[in-house]
Amino acid sequence: MTTYNPTFALLLFLALIIVLYFLFRPNKGLYYLLRKTKKSNAKTIIEDILKLLYHNQASNNALNVNDLTNHLKYSNRLLIENVSKMIENKLLFMEGDALKLSELGNEYALQIIRAHRLWEKFLSEKTGFQKEEWHGRAEKKEHELSVDETNQLAALLGNPKFDPHGDPIPTSTGRVAFKKGHPLSELAVDTVGRIIHIEDEPEIIYKQILAEKIYLDSQIRIVEKDDSRIVFHSEGEKFVLAPIVAGNITVSILENKVLIQESTTRLSSLKTHETAKIIGLSKECRGENRRRLLDLGFVKGATVGVDLMNPLGDPTAFLIKGTAIALRNNQASKILIKKIEHGKTTT
Amino acid sequence: MQEKNVAHIIALSKELRWQIGDDFHDSLAESIYADASKIVEGSVTKGDQKSSFRIDSKIDKIVTSKIWGFPLMLFILGVVLWLTIIGANYPSGMLAQLLLDTCHPLLKEGASAIGLPWWLDGFLIDGVYLAVAWVIAVMLPPMAIFFPLFTLLEDFGYLPRVAFNMDHLFKKSGAHGKQALTMSMGFGCNAAGVVATRIIDSPRERLIAIITNNFSLCNGRWPTQILLATIFIGAVVPSTYSSLASLSAVIGIAVLGIFFMFFFSWALSRTVLKGEVSTFNLELPPYRPPVFWKTIYTSLIDRTLIVLWRAIIFAAPAGAVIWLISNIYIGDESIALWAIHSLDGFGFLLGLNGVVLLAYIVAIPANEIVIPTILMLTVMATGIPGGEGVGVMFELDSVTATADILKAGGWTLLTAVNVMLFSLLHNPCSTTIYTIYKETNSAKWTIVASVLPVVAGFVITFLVAQIWRILG
Repeated sequence: MTTYNPTFALLLFLALIIVLYFLFRPNKGLYYLLRKTKKSNAKTIIEDILKLLYHNQASNNALNVNDLTNHLKYSNRLLIENVSKMIENKLLFMEGDALKLSELGNEYALQIIRAHRLWEKFLSEKTGFQKEEWHGRAEKKEHELSVDETNQLAALLGNPKFDPHGDPIPTSTGRVAFKKGHPLSELAVDTVGRIIHIEDEPEIIYKQILAEKIYLDSQIRIVEKDDSRIVFHSEGEKFVLAPIVAGNITVSILENKVLIQESTTRLSSLKTHETAKIIGLSKECRGENRRRLLDLGFVKGATVGVDLMNPLGDPTAFLIKGTAIALRNNQASKILIKKIEHGKTTT
Repeated sequence: MQEKNVAHIIALSKELRWQIGDDFHDSLAESIYADASKIVEGSVTKGDQKSSFRIDSKIDKIVTSKIWGFPLMLFILGVVLWLTIIGANYPSGMLAQLLLDTCHPLLKEGASAIGLPWWLDGFLIDGVYLAVAWVIAVMLPPMAIFFPLFTLLEDFGYLPRVAFNMDHLFKKSGAHGKQALTMSMGFGCNAAGVVATRIIDSPRERLIAIITNNFSLCNGRWPTQILLATIFIGAVVPSTYSSLASLSAVIGIAVLGIFFMFFFSWALSRTVLKGEVSTFNLELPPYRPPVFWKTIYTSLIDRTLIVLWRAIIFAAPAGAVIWLISNIYIGDESIALWAIHSLDGFGFLLGLNGVVLLAYIVAIPANEIVIPTILMLTVMATGIPGGEGVGVMFELDSVTATADILKAGGWTLLTAVNVMLFSLLHNPCSTTIYTIYKETNSAKWTIVASVLPVVAGFVITFLVAQIWRILG
């Protein structure tokens, strides 16, 4: 230790930290980049092309090779190489300069989409990953799951029809459920509808929707609309969105006015000395959380009141079935209630 | 024919499943729950609970109020810790008197009377017996005070309200409010704190509570902190303030531990643990007068004795190892001396020394024997007079005499500060590691929980040492 010098030791340590940071920082570190390039092989590229073509074909958009380079982050050379391989293998054919999926290509694309959406469903039901992460993780996993594994996954999840964003999951025979909806941004004032789909791409807009606590399957009513904003009421709350954000939410219009429940609100809005009847749990309350709430007695028809407010504001203790149960705000907002006017009980 | 029918039925069932839609599992389960609650409503009658309910809500209003909630909580925790630390001194002293000062020499005499060879006598009595006796003397009294008090509070129904009050803070770092309780339990004993995480029923939050429990300064480490703070921190300020300064230093270390607990909870919940399932609910049971004697009995049996038994099982071989490394020679150096010299360089870099590092390695089984081991090794390494003999752990009644030995071993204020930090930030004791393995049933999380704090300790002591030397 003859050459020891504290400043030098400290600097050496900092240098080491910086090197480690650049090696291992999430998603951009050298370690991850190396792993990524290893994985972005021909299979991934082919499957990404198939998915892109499938989605565009569904909306009657013809794509040529140039469009591929604009939409996918692979180099021109790799794309052209793989497109010709795909044509050779009869996954694609050319119509003029537009690329079209063959029967085989269509089937393949559906399998990838099935794997993607099933994995998102799995993440939402059986793990604790944040909503923002589901899409990115499924983007990687869809290339890794074999057909058998996908079927096992579907069986494990009880053969779900829709993924957590409301997108239909194709069955193993390629059947796709169909939902008719309109973008929220195109609805007229006073339209009543139900949110059936929340798009998870681009991520910036998806995060805004999540931050607003807008939930799938909520009933909404448009109250105001102009070029700069759309205002709607849902579950006793008022939401204001920019049209570009609202465009990523799909709503199915409810014609039958009998079904409309304007008095439904969220448990999180219940105040001290108020009581309410539970209407049900929101679709966004999933997996273990949902079962736990049911176990505790938060079921349709149960009466609930506020027992204790918290000195820090969250969580709140609710009185249900004679027991005080504390729930956090984000849980209470996923329990739908109808307030009981003092004294008289509504059915 | 038969087969055709089967195929037809399967196809039909698939079609029906498709038509019935996605939610039928949920709706079925929910309607069963709803039906069950209706049946209960119609058939179960409850006695009048209004009056007890009113008292409950009055207590609740006070313990969760904005003004009284937090001061009350700090006050109660402070009283419990004070009773534990101060109250345990007397029985600890008596036990030490009995087991170390009276029984140990008696055993030695007995051994020489029956003509036991020196190595067997040293191995068994100076090694194994001494370590076990030490652990019992230091560990038993505080646990026998802390656990019953804690269990009484739990039975009364106060602790769930603490979790309720604190949840918002813990939520910010991705943890569960009940972690406030397991953390406090950790102040008594980390192994017991880890067992207590069973009250957290969400897998992710429970793992966080288990892994970060070691950042609660446990009973085995309080005496180390108090001793070092008294000797070194108290000496820096004028003598009128010295007890205040050393007290603040000890509390500062405990608070630093809480800070690390929050920091690592936050970091873990956002990295390695983010995929684990996370739920939340917290039941606030009605208050009830605790069944005093039953509580005392069960807390002594369930918590104190089980933890103590595990500690003894781990301490016995540690005592043997400590004696052996000091008495087995390679060439003309004992293993202990050789290890101290090879660890000295790394120890210096961390502002510690080889003796401290070796003591923490051999004393993994119990934090209680760290100071006796350090003293024994220091005497052996420096060759100053004092101590009880090679490989025999000892502690001195006089603080000044202890200070003299440590200073002769080359200790400075920096060494003391860094040993205090390292005592907070190092691997859990082997009892806790074993308990973590039993509770998580996973080698992976056991390794994370064991390695994470010691790495944090290396980094922190290293940084403190370098900055200290640059500034000084």
